[in-house]
Amino acid sequence: MQTEPNLTLTDSTRRFSTVTNGDRIGSLLQEMEYLNTIGKSFVAANNRFQVHHALLAALQEQYSFAACSILLKDNPFQLSIIPCYPLSQEFINAMIARIASAANVIDFPHVMAQELADAAYLDAPEQPVPPPAMETVGGSEIGSCLNIPLTVEDRIIGMLSLFDTQIGTFDTERLKLTTLIADYAAIALENVRLRESERALWRQAEGERQRLALIISSMAEGLLITDARGAITSLNQSAQNLLSQAQVDLKQDIPLRTLAASSDVPWLGQLSEIVDRALANQVVMNQELIAGKQGESVPLTLSISAAPLHNAGEAQKRPTGVVAVLNDITSHKQIERLKDEFVSVVSHELRTPLTSIKGYTQHLVRRLERRMRTAKQSPTAQTGATQVPATQEPPEHYDLRSLYIVQSQAEHLERLVNDLLDLSRVQWGHLELHPTTFYLADLLAESVHSIQVSAEQHSITLDIKVQDTKIVADRQRISQVVGNILDNAIKYSPHGGQVTVSLQEQDGDYLVSISDQGIGISPEYLDHIFERFYRVRNTASHQYSGIGLGLYVARAIVERHGGSIWFSNNPGLGSTFFFTLPHALETEEGA
Amino acid sequence: MSPVPDNSSSVTREQVIETYLKVLRLIDERVAPLLGKATTRVLVQVAAKHVIDQYPFLHFLMKMPYTEVVPSVIREQLSGVSAQELEIGLDALLQQCFSGLQELTGDLIAPPLHDEVSRQLEQWH
Repeated sequence: MQTEPNLTLTDSTRRFSTVTNGDRIGSLLQEMEYLNTIGKSFVAANNRFQVHHALLAALQEQYSFAACSILLKDNPFQLSIIPCYPLSQEFINAMIARIASAANVIDFPHVMAQELADAAYLDAPEQPVPPPAMETVGGSEIGSCLNIPLTVEDRIIGMLSLFDTQIGTFDTERLKLTTLIADYAAIALENVRLRESERALWRQAEGERQRLALIISSMAEGLLITDARGAITSLNQSAQNLLSQAQVDLKQDIPLRTLAASSDVPWLGQLSEIVDRALANQVVMNQELIAGKQGESVPLTLSISAAPLHNAGEAQKRPTGVVAVLNDITSHKQIERLKDEFVSVVSHELRTPLTSIKGYTQHLVRRLERRMRTAKQSPTAQTGATQVPATQEPPEHYDLRSLYIVQSQAEHLERLVNDLLDLSRVQWGHLELHPTTFYLADLLAESVHSIQVSAEQHSITLDIKVQDTKIVADRQRISQVVGNILDNAIKYSPHGGQVTVSLQEQDGDYLVSISDQGIGISPEYLDHIFERFYRVRNTASHQYSGIGLGLYVARAIVERHGGSIWFSNNPGLGSTFFFTLPHALETEEGA
Repeated sequence: MSPVPDNSSSVTREQVIETYLKVLRLIDERVAPLLGKATTRVLVQVAAKHVIDQYPFLHFLMKMPYTEVVPSVIREQLSGVSAQELEIGLDALLQQCFSGLQELTGDLIAPPLHDEVSRQLEQWH
């Protein structure tokens, strides 16, 4: 009996406790369901307008008010005003003034109400609510106002403002509830901002990727990228063109060394070796690789530089691939070859007259020595010694002939050197003339004489058909022109023959023609004969001697004098070169 | 609000600043559940901007959150400032904070909190 009341008391207490717990759990469940609903609506928002609508819906579920606004601290700031029902412009202006004022107390960049008014975006609610009374719609008075900082991780990102026409709409409980909802809104807005920022970054990265792809595809240099195994993953168009001679599909996800082992393309092995060296963390610089076909005079030659590729911050680790740059250096090789050829030809051309000069000079020296020895022995002879018979020494005119040849070859050498020196002057238009007055017939005679001495197989005749041959021109240059053409006439008449130099008048100018009985000029050479370094080839010996500058310089000199130069094949044999010269060189002032 | 005690000459700068830091922490305690944890810190920084012309020695509160103010900062930043000057300046700053709070939430938080802070200040002095 004693226990009964106690039991009753205990049950009662337990019942009371159970009811209280049940209420509490129910209330908690309700609260959690509510928060869950709000959370879902904010999470589903994809843009800030959807966040605004979710916010408005959540707030309107709790209490009624006239409008809310969201000011975001972006640069520039963004202000969205969402009226719950139509509001007068005066009311909206008053809202903006209050927003500006409140924004300035939570460390927003100082902002004037007018700036906010200009930037404000008036968003429309998805479901407008009816105004509490028609007369309040047109009112300008703000009855209640609440400004809540929007905070994410202790950082204020914006401000939520609520307005009502009635006084006392907001109390502390509503403030707590609104702050709770504002926290959700702040996170949702931050997520939207991050997503927008992410999308912008992706767009930017994609733009950069496309730009890079365009640059790589437009590069004149070939670009080759491999993976960590040495298999080619990327080749730009230039690289594809350069490596096309391999006739192997290089992009088949097979390491280059494997491809090289099964291919008979010799340079593929070299390329694979370069890639392997880069994969071993070496930087390979300007490695030459001949990728052309065998037998070509200057085959396709590549210069390859390769470097290992590493992930950012992992320079010490194994490379993730290789990037190689391929440069076509075939033209450099061609230039090198031409340069070597040129040096060889020039050396040969200079040596030929030098050999002649040296030979004749030595011959003359020996003869002079012998003569001096004879002169010394003469007194002895007078005292009874044996005298050298006069018939053992060639006559004096032999010496003179030797000296003529030396002079002729020296002049030939001089013309060669002058042609070489004039090459760059002609190219840059800096060929200077030093005009003097002389007789063209005399100059032609001297040239004929000089060259005839060294051309015994040929007979050079001079035919002057003009009485007065006085001319104002650069004597040395004109001599260079005549000498160059005469040299060619002799050179391209390998079996000797007649060479005729004639001078006549034509249209008030002097016309000089030099005709030979040589090989003539084949039609395929006609357009190139005056080009620099152009030399006529001969099927037997492949090439005639000469550096290919004589006619190039001759044309420049003649044209600089105001004349012209041309040639024609003779009807029977050989060819004739013509050039005209005005009687007097036109000076700059005269022109 | 300034509860400058009669024996103010005996109050040190450190004591003054410690008292006002306690006040700010009290405000923070009350405001944080309603307006978020960052609000008081920002209110103080903006208030410091407003009073800086008159009380330039308070510029450190503009540069750093009040929660990071430590004795070494006080010694470094407030040398040459009397306790009385400091108290007047900090009181002006406090008024600016309340004015900011009033701007945000009207009469919901500022008036009752102002009363509580005044009472506490009197007690602490």
